Amino acid sequence: MTERDDFAAPAFNHRDPVYLQVVRHFKIGIATGRLSAGQTVPSRRELAAMMKINPNTAQRAYREMEDQGLIVTEGNAPSRITTDEKVLGAIREELITEAIDNFIDSVRQIGVPINELLEKIRSRYESKTAEDKGASS
Amino acid sequence: MIEIDRVTKKFGRKTVLKDVTFTVEKGRITCLIGLNGAGKSTLLKAIMGLMPVSRGQIRIDGQPVSEHLYEKVAFVPDTLTMPPFMTVENCLRFMRDFYDNWNEERAAYLLSFFKLQPADRISSLSKGNAAKLNLLLGLALDTDYLLMDEPFSGIDMFSREQIASVFTSELIEDRGVLLTTHEIDEIEHLIDKAVLLDQGRVIREFWCEEIREKEGKSVMDVMREVYHP
Repeated sequence: MTERDDFAAPAFNHRDPVYLQVVRHFKIGIATGRLSAGQTVPSRRELAAMMKINPNTAQRAYREMEDQGLIVTEGNAPSRITTDEKVLGAIREELITEAIDNFIDSVRQIGVPINELLEKIRSRYESKTAEDKGASS
Repeated sequence: MIEIDRVTKKFGRKTVLKDVTFTVEKGRITCLIGLNGAGKSTLLKAIMGLMPVSRGQIRIDGQPVSEHLYEKVAFVPDTLTMPPFMTVENCLRFMRDFYDNWNEERAAYLLSFFKLQPADRISSLSKGNAAKLNLLLGLALDTDYLLMDEPFSGIDMFSREQIASVFTSELIEDRGVLLTTHEIDEIEHLIDKAVLLDQGRVIREFWCEEIREKEGKSVMDVMREVYHP
């Protein structure tokens, strides 16, 4: 059974194609473990209702995900998240690269030397992780 | 497909629609966007044959508008037109008696989905509930096309959300929907196609996902470009 919450609607922005935002939402789900390999995905209709999108958009998002090998459909069985390690690994890589690129774009404008930057990232990362731990315990 | 082909409408010397041309496809949600007075409601009335046009043609699946139209197209006007003394139940019975394509099962489903009480009088309905009943009366007809005039106007946000969820469901699937609005923001990601109307003219017609993909623009961005108030 699929949990409804796994597919809850993300906050859509209005400038990127909605179907690509849905695909991205799936990728994040897979990378964070919210969605697991081999898990069944909702039907097109169910997805539209859950994500509050047009059924045509849900259809297009699934087509895109099939093209990218993210979901697989065999015969008449419901579609599933792929179990292909290569594809799953690539998703994680893609999201990490994207986040880093965004970071670099904004930090480069300030002109911080790379060594200073790396040092700052390490200390910031550690203190944030400690904060989160403190908050959750 | 509904084809609006070079439609012009004049009231006396005033031209309210000028050479309006666009299409409404089946299985798609088309949104007619325009400021107040742009000619949106006039156009819907013209499609429904409620108002003769001065020039041009409207075709539904290739046929000119005729009396058979009402089996193919349902119209949800901007206000509920049922008399105030009737109950919700009375309205449903009226529709059942009047229309061959009334779908009882869907009406019952929508009644509970919108949480409407059959015994309530029209005169006692809140604005939101009146809008929901109005929508129910149109949606429960088995038609290929559905026209809605400002379905989101003047109602609270929870009612709006509930009405919006209709657009993500099988209730409108495979039908061609044409709705009008002057506030696009909340439903941007729900619609397939936008037709921008200004002073009786179509100034833009585009597929929303395409404009996002190719130009990185929201429907609002396009509106800001083309409207100069």
